[in-house]
Amino acid sequence: MIRTFEKRAEQKISGFQSPAADYLEGRLDITEKIVIDPHATFYFQMQGNTMAGYGICDGDILVIDRSLKPIEGAFVIAFVAGFFNCRLLLKDKQGFFLKNDSDIVRETEMEVLQIWGVVSSVCRNVLPKALRTGRYKDVCTL
Amino acid sequence: MFALCDCNNFYASAERLFRPELNGKPVVVLSNNDGCVIARSEEAKACGIKMGDPEFLVRDLIKKFSIHVFSSNYVLYGDMSERVMHNLSRWFPRLDVYSIDEAFGWLGGIGNLDTYVPMVRNSVVQNTGIPVSIGVAPTKTLAKLANKLSKKCGGVMVLDTDEKISAAVKDFPVSDLWGVGRQYYKKFQELGITTAGELREMPEMWFKQHLTVMGQRMWNELWGRPAIPLDAVRENTKGITVSRSFRNYIEQPDILAEAVTLYASRLAEKLRREQLRCLYLQVFLYTNKNREDHPQHFPSYTHKLLLASNNTTDLVSIAVKVAQRLFKDGVKYRKAGVIATGLVPESELQLNVFAAHDSGKKDKVSAVLDKLNLAYGRGTLRMATEGFEKKWRLKHEYLSKGYTTRWPDIIKVI
Repeated sequence: MIRTFEKRAEQKISGFQSPAADYLEGRLDITEKIVIDPHATFYFQMQGNTMAGYGICDGDILVIDRSLKPIEGAFVIAFVAGFFNCRLLLKDKQGFFLKNDSDIVRETEMEVLQIWGVVSSVCRNVLPKALRTGRYKDVCTL
Repeated sequence: MFALCDCNNFYASAERLFRPELNGKPVVVLSNNDGCVIARSEEAKACGIKMGDPEFLVRDLIKKFSIHVFSSNYVLYGDMSERVMHNLSRWFPRLDVYSIDEAFGWLGGIGNLDTYVPMVRNSVVQNTGIPVSIGVAPTKTLAKLANKLSKKCGGVMVLDTDEKISAAVKDFPVSDLWGVGRQYYKKFQELGITTAGELREMPEMWFKQHLTVMGQRMWNELWGRPAIPLDAVRENTKGITVSRSFRNYIEQPDILAEAVTLYASRLAEKLRREQLRCLYLQVFLYTNKNREDHPQHFPSYTHKLLLASNNTTDLVSIAVKVAQRLFKDGVKYRKAGVIATGLVPESELQLNVFAAHDSGKKDKVSAVLDKLNLAYGRGTLRMATEGFEKKWRLKHEYLSKGYTTRWPDIIKVI
């Protein structure tokens, strides 16, 4: 992603000009590593632990990039039987299927395989409960 | 070559993107205050629902065909529109956004349109999830026409040869032409002209004489000669309006003041965003003209400011004073609004000899207001006269969530 503007407050210098002034760069911004195409990116949230075996836990925020092509081995958001599901997309001789810890749904069991988008990354709050207070309550969760 | 890109049944499509179970089902979106139908999915059109139908008149149809109803969720539509326009702008050397769901693109220097345009469409549909149609032609009028036709053949229509254009205009109804309103349509009907093909066969002089220069432009455009440049339609803003219907009738001046405070605050915000100040502030009130048993009152008053202003404090205090003066006891008001006219750029403030101006201070307050509301969400800091209960607030019973703009509203997956 292109850095559009530097998020740095202007410093009013009262004494000496900083020797670093000529060498300033924009500070790192984590969204550059998480959101590649902001105009194709959506956020969903995982509910429940049916994907825990694949490292996606309850409460995780999923970053969905619709511009990506869903291929074998990708975690995808699929719309199955009236619900949005996060699943691993796999393929064998019989065709595509969706998998999580407990079950497998074959393409043939659905009218159409409705893939909404590809999960490009997962954001999780790893703080212990005691630290999840105040401003830190909602780190990577809601 | 020009391309007209527009989103198919935009509001309905935006709602369905987050409710895929409604794909293939009839969906309608209602206007502010859940008044009229302003968007329909194809299936809803087939059920006989017309654009602009009042909700209470189609209630039976809605029930009969179990049509899904949404209140208008402009937060969602605004964000989805921005996504569509950004995605489109990657493909066109120039893109002029024409409305929330339409944009004119310029395809200068791009060859092989027959493969390029479908590529554009696929990419935008994939990235945003919103179905779009693209019509391409040498003029804007024809691009608009191609766009209409494209909806029936996969969402892309390129009219790049005279033969293709002739075939396209041949049966195209004049009433669907860009720029044909009721007046023009009446004239065409009198002459028995029903298709765009027939229309363009008329001599140029006839257009000039009967339809002024606009008609002459249309004639040229129909023959594939560009007469409307890319940004010709855009005009300078002449006035900015904020007006809304109330949920229930307002019969007390205090409550009216609350509503008007909110509208004037929003107006001031809009002016500041456009870096404009207004010299005139108009306030108007409406009663429900369909209720003949109610006393009717449609007062309006335009206040001239001594000094052009865009700060919330000034505009709110004027609007409230005017509204309370317009208010009559015993009348049930249905709608109110504020209009800013006499707009001048912020940089061209003309001072008044006879007025003391301390507005620098108020401008600073307004700037702080904008900053806080940007950081913490709209309405965090507001004028106290806006009140807290807001019983007059718009009705939106079937409002969907801010799926893409509010963290608590993002979609949960299992």
